[in-house]
Amino acid sequence: MQDVNVVVVFHSRTGTTERLALTAAVGAVQGRAFIRLRRLPDPADQAIVESAPGWKENRARMDMEYVAPRDADAEWADAILVGIADGAGVLSADAERYFDSLAALRAQGKLEGKIGASFTQGLPTASLYAAMCRAGLITVPPMPDPDALEAARSQGRRVADMARSLRRKL
Amino acid sequence: MITIRHGSDRGHGDHGWRESWHTFSFGNYNDPAHMGFRSLRVMNEDRIAPGRGFGAHAHRDMEIVTYILEGSLAHKDNMGDRRVIGPNTIQAMSAGTGVVHSEFNASEKEPVHLLQIWIEPAMEDAEPSYHQISFAPAEKHGKLKLLASPDPAVAQTAAVIHQDARVYAAELGDGETLKQPLARGRYGWVQVARGSVLLNGRKLDQGDGAAVSDEPELSVTGASSDGAEFLLFDLA
Repeated sequence: MQDVNVVVVFHSRTGTTERLALTAAVGAVQGRAFIRLRRLPDPADQAIVESAPGWKENRARMDMEYVAPRDADAEWADAILVGIADGAGVLSADAERYFDSLAALRAQGKLEGKIGASFTQGLPTASLYAAMCRAGLITVPPMPDPDALEAARSQGRRVADMARSLRRKL
Repeated sequence: MITIRHGSDRGHGDHGWRESWHTFSFGNYNDPAHMGFRSLRVMNEDRIAPGRGFGAHAHRDMEIVTYILEGSLAHKDNMGDRRVIGPNTIQAMSAGTGVVHSEFNASEKEPVHLLQIWIEPAMEDAEPSYHQISFAPAEKHGKLKLLASPDPAVAQTAAVIHQDARVYAAELGDGETLKQPLARGRYGWVQVARGSVLLNGRKLDQGDGAAVSDEPELSVTGASSDGAEFLLFDLA
């Protein structure tokens, strides 16, 4: 079976999107992909972080458990699965910076034939897909499902399967 | 026949935050002569610095048993909450169709010292499951405490794994002997976690392992004044 690599990139404050990211990764593993999990940094001010229950502890834990995505991860990956917590409908500055880095890789021809997809269904989805198109990724739309975890899992599985069939054809 | 795998001959990696000894090939240590024994695929001895550990990573089609010798390990997987395990606890995970988890030293002060064991399952695509069972230290003093087996009838006291393999732990005082029959056609593996033992008269020290075949019985005698601890595998 053709090896496929999936990098799961997420932004999480209290751990909810982290759980979805782990579940999306499991879906990709079910599709026999190799996975990496990468977390976008959360530079929010301490005062704001302390205002929300669970944010501070989870941020400290996730700072320890995850590293931020690097160019090498996107180059390694056949598919980039992104999940961003519900926000104001626009991408955070950190997410924008991440997609800028992908667009720069695209300009060097390093993202050719790679898949981009979201495993979350929240408000920033449209901005997310616009940013993926800017990075030249072949996008796979999210499948609506009332169960967010199941949606994340099935999206991870689908993306792994598609990355494999795409690799066979390219 | 008893074939000893000396602890000092194992693969060794010192990553600063983690010091590992690999009885069988693992990660950057690759020796085709040491790829496992029967269904036993990985036997790693790890010492992990306070607060450090393995970030989220995936497993598939593997039975993973973690046995803590000293300290505590925080485990978090996609199936549930963060849990902390210490000595005298069985932790076993059937990865099956896929599990993503992280493992970190739960202490900010003390290192954690553990054995991690991977057993190849007899089947692919099993439903993932997680077992965590604590037991009294007395259950392994001078006798074999069953940690994992394929038998669902003892699921309350031993983890259920998808392989015809039984994993035991035991502690022995100096000169104390424990005997375990090995059925015809079965294979044994003994891994010394602490101190020294005599296995059918052969000396094994901390970190040593021994592959056993065509022996009707395993006789293990404690050979350390401050006690010895070992794991015993009964394998198909």
